[in-house]
Amino acid sequence: MKSIKNHLMFILPLVAILLGIQFFLIFERLTDAYEEKLKNSYTMLAVSDKELTTKDFQAINANIASSVKVERNEILKEISVGQKPEDVEEILNALPNFYNIKLSKYLDTDGIEKLKKQLMVSGKIKKVETFEGSYSSNYKLFKFIKFILNLFILFMGLVSLFLVIKQMEVWGYIHKERMQVMEIFGAPLMLRSGILFRVAFFDAIISTFIIAGIFLFFSYYGVNVGGIDIVEQNSNLLFLPFDGAILFFSALLMVIISVYSVVSSSKEKDI
Amino acid sequence: MPSVVEARSLSLSYNKEHTVIEKANFNIRKGEFIFITGPSGSGKSTLLKSLYGGIKPDAGLLKVGELELKNATTSKLQELRTHLGIVFQDYKLVNEWTVAKNVALPLMIAGYSMDLQQTQVHRLLKHVKLENYANRYPYELSGGEQQRVGVARALAKNPMMILADEPTGNLDDYSSNVVWDLLENACVQLQTTVVVVTHKIPMAFSLPYRHLILENKGVYEVH
Repeated sequence: MKSIKNHLMFILPLVAILLGIQFFLIFERLTDAYEEKLKNSYTMLAVSDKELTTKDFQAINANIASSVKVERNEILKEISVGQKPEDVEEILNALPNFYNIKLSKYLDTDGIEKLKKQLMVSGKIKKVETFEGSYSSNYKLFKFIKFILNLFILFMGLVSLFLVIKQMEVWGYIHKERMQVMEIFGAPLMLRSGILFRVAFFDAIISTFIIAGIFLFFSYYGVNVGGIDIVEQNSNLLFLPFDGAILFFSALLMVIISVYSVVSSSKEKDI
Repeated sequence: MPSVVEARSLSLSYNKEHTVIEKANFNIRKGEFIFITGPSGSGKSTLLKSLYGGIKPDAGLLKVGELELKNATTSKLQELRTHLGIVFQDYKLVNEWTVAKNVALPLMIAGYSMDLQQTQVHRLLKHVKLENYANRYPYELSGGEQQRVGVARALAKNPMMILADEPTGNLDDYSSNVVWDLLENACVQLQTTVVVVTHKIPMAFSLPYRHLILENKGVYEVH
């Protein structure tokens, strides 16, 4: 019972730290997925008197992926209803070229503004419509939620770290006597800390399995988070095979630092 | 007889503040039984601790075996300690280990096989008359029995020198005599150098061995 309690005292904070790491990884991936989605559904409109190609646009800004000219006849159909044929001809001659522009990567509000400015000062473009309002408002909310969650993760990590330090004190108390006696009789560091390493290594494996198991389950069976599309549509991003390695090495790093601290503080000088 | 310990102009302090020994010269010869005595606070335990590298000299030369301790590396000190047997007043047994495992500690550190460890431990426990206590834990034993386990552990690897810090300090007369016999036997039969720190000066002088007395930061030999 005492042994289980000792294991849990290290496993629980370790699980909390790994949970924070996994949440961080997930939010980074969801951000990428969300930016990709925004980028794919986003189009800005540019108006020019001249005929321009995609290369002309890319020469102005490299973040432009493509430009598609809006057929002038299609526009004309919309605006020439009830007009005389000679007037329609005149409108057609006066009508500039309209281009739908797609981006190669997600740009934030500042990036879009900068792009707009570059297009305008190029002398080739008369007007640019960025439709920025709908583009950025959801993203800003998403970024804000991500920031709050990162703060929460940081706080959770700090609390867990304190619990780990507390457990290190308990380890120091339990293992100090044995390690000091072993040191006096010439045991090298690895032999002295062997038992502690085995205990902590076991805890690291258990913690990794707990977190990996939870997220693998959600990744496999999907997750219902009250209709948040970006999460539900990307449930496969909740756990990637490489995450297991990241979690395990993070846990291992914690173990090595913790055990080494305990061993270093158990020097024979107190004897 | 060649020297196992050689000290020249040796200065020692504890906590790096209080100098307890200053410019001391002495040596301890191979296979001899020697007492280090002196009043409380004279630095007996500090001197003994320095012999296994627990405290490094402030100045002068301190050589144990072939190793000069002042500038010895951690790995060299670890190597030296595997050739020493150390007995403490408070036994310093590991309470979560059985008697057998405590005795086997030096053998385990030296990398002996489990079979060899078992054979040696059985022989040692028989030697200290505790062969039936192998699977007990230290806290189940009396003080005298615990110290016999401590002596068995010190003898485990047939060390070149046994360092004993007040080995009978916590024991009654009967248990003290048993421990003295074990240490004397180690010296006489195995030719092991035995260095004993004790504040029991009359008892030490009742035995026919060399004595080093620590007084006023000096180390003096008394014949």
